[in-house]
Amino acid sequence: MACRFEVVLPGEDARHVSAARAALDIADRLEAQLSVFRETSELSGVNRCAADQPTEVSRPLFALLQRAARIHAETGGAFDITSTPLSRCWGFLHREGRLPDSQAIADALTHVGMKLVTLDAPSKTVRFHAPGVELNLGAIGKGYALDVMAKRLRRAGVQHALLSAGASSILAIGDDGAGWPVHIRPRLLDGARVARLRLRDAAIATSGAGEQFVVVDGQRYGHVLDPRTGWPASGVVSATVVTRDAALADALSTAILVEGPALAEQYCERHPDTLVLMTLDGDPERTSVVGRCRGALIEKD
Amino acid sequence: MQLSEEQQAIGRRNFLKALAGTPALGLLGAAAAMKGPVPGGPVRLGIIGVGGQGRALLNNIDPAFGDLKAMADINPDSLKRADEVLLKRKLPAATHYVEWKEMLQKENIEAVLIGVPLWAHADATVGCLEAGKHVLCEKMMAWDVDGCERMTRAAERTGRLLEIGYQRRYNGVYQAAYDGIVTKGLLGDVYHVRMVWHRNGNWRRLGNPPSPDYNPSQWGYPTFEHLWNWRLYWKYSQGLFAELASHQLNAVNWFLGSHPTTVMASGGVYRYNDGREVPDHIYAIWDYPGGRTATFSSIESNALENRYEVFFGTKATLLVKNENEAQLFEEGSAATQTGVQVSPRDSGPAAESSETRPGNTNAGTAAAAAPDSPSGARPAATKQEISRFCAAVRVGTPLACGPHEAMHSARACIRANEAIQKKMRLDL
Repeated sequence: MACRFEVVLPGEDARHVSAARAALDIADRLEAQLSVFRETSELSGVNRCAADQPTEVSRPLFALLQRAARIHAETGGAFDITSTPLSRCWGFLHREGRLPDSQAIADALTHVGMKLVTLDAPSKTVRFHAPGVELNLGAIGKGYALDVMAKRLRRAGVQHALLSAGASSILAIGDDGAGWPVHIRPRLLDGARVARLRLRDAAIATSGAGEQFVVVDGQRYGHVLDPRTGWPASGVVSATVVTRDAALADALSTAILVEGPALAEQYCERHPDTLVLMTLDGDPERTSVVGRCRGALIEKD
Repeated sequence: MQLSEEQQAIGRRNFLKALAGTPALGLLGAAAAMKGPVPGGPVRLGIIGVGGQGRALLNNIDPAFGDLKAMADINPDSLKRADEVLLKRKLPAATHYVEWKEMLQKENIEAVLIGVPLWAHADATVGCLEAGKHVLCEKMMAWDVDGCERMTRAAERTGRLLEIGYQRRYNGVYQAAYDGIVTKGLLGDVYHVRMVWHRNGNWRRLGNPPSPDYNPSQWGYPTFEHLWNWRLYWKYSQGLFAELASHQLNAVNWFLGSHPTTVMASGGVYRYNDGREVPDHIYAIWDYPGGRTATFSSIESNALENRYEVFFGTKATLLVKNENEAQLFEEGSAATQTGVQVSPRDSGPAAESSETRPGNTNAGTAAAAAPDSPSGARPAATKQEISRFCAAVRVGTPLACGPHEAMHSARACIRANEAIQKKMRLDL
């Protein structure tokens, strides 16, 4: 996940510092389990073996993979944990973006898609139906880690805390009185603030094309790739999702960046406690707001 | 100490995190205590020596604390430039003197700031103290140990205040680090301190005499070059140890609550063999009681590392960089990208949501460790220094670095030069 995790406690809650440290240890442990940048992680083991044979995984990892598969289905495939071959083809995996030729993209696409992955619940095994398939939890892992940390903190009696993972995923426990103040400030918009929120027992995640990109012939290609076409998502510059749990917010923010406002409308209609804020390409001054979340209050400037 | 941007951000955050819960941040505490004019009105000041450092002092006299009446300098150009400083600051003009003794006789002043070349510190300071003036003398204390002792005895004999100006003692970053980190034991036991002050350039200053027939030989400088570049000649200077190391060593003594007992050193004129006498590269090891060791290097051939002090403790490492920022790394966790913050409530956001920033620190508070730009930290500290000195004169508030404190760092630096010359390890 390669990002910094933080826990903010209200000033009078210094007694919970040790609980916060314990929660941060969880983040380290999950990183060791889920990161594809570590060869020793459980997920790297799956990627090495699952094309050859069904590979058994731990219960929490299996549950997370099932969750990812469900969000994949709910977002029409816009969220996809198998898109690593595409990221590699575009050079985004190691932060060396380049424009690949169409044949390379077509080749990469043959290794992408949840249809190539079978999750067998009784045996808790993962099976790939082609060589070269890879799972990557980068678009859900940070949120998932925050959810696990929050569970631990609540159990320790923490009533108010703000957890964050590299700024893209934030989770509020309680409300610190008037709601935890969180500002949305996408980098592609030169750090201009697009909204101020107050959070109460809610999670927020932001995805944007500003994170990594490559410019070829004046055309800017963002690092979030549409797993169905193999080309960078376009249309949405920044997508923020507020919902009750951080893993879902994390995954949805990526899916909406890929699929655009239509998915936001459709998803929010079916899932009431979801709020989406989008900045669309060509209209950086305006923030589109879809849906609502009980845990989030948008403050007027 | 080459740390990645990410590590540095974490270190800054750790530093602030460790300060959380410290009731009065040193960053603010001293300044708050100094607010408002001193009872009894500003202290009537004179200044001896208005070259570069003297003018830096003039630039930082707070008129609520000090009222400059007169200034003495043997270089008329320096006096002219000092006038310009006062004019620019809209402060009243000060009477000019060439001889400081004449200034002491004629002016109704209470205290004197001294910014003359090092070799003249002792005579000027003792002269002022004996004339009943309080003295704030620029560092290093004196050219030799005898001079330091004469100054100390004069202060004791006359009952006047003597402060030696070390800006780090008045710098908010150091005060916060000392109050919030060092005295709280967060570093554990510190066995090693590393001091680095690296630059890449000639130390020589270019300048012209005030007039073609200007002759400073009556004051002990055979040519204008000797006056202008006094730092390069042994008669007037103790070289890089006095001008750079003594700053850092004085702060290390403060943080360790101790002073060194032996010194080993090496160095020479290696790069700029242009007639200068003092080395352009120096290296020293000072031993403190209790198995503690401080090392120092100053080179004039590479500036990558610039200047910093690092305190390596059994529990944590404290890095103070360029006098304006501090970073803290707990042992074993320097690379761990996690942090706990106990935040006081304020109006700002608790977090900012954006795309992933690798290893970022989320909130914008890290910059608070560096309230000033690199060039800004010193003036702020110098202003504190003069104001606190004036407050000490008026109302007896304690001084940060009196003669005894200053003598320890001066002796360690003077003996380091001797150690190079004698190729010996010396007791202090």
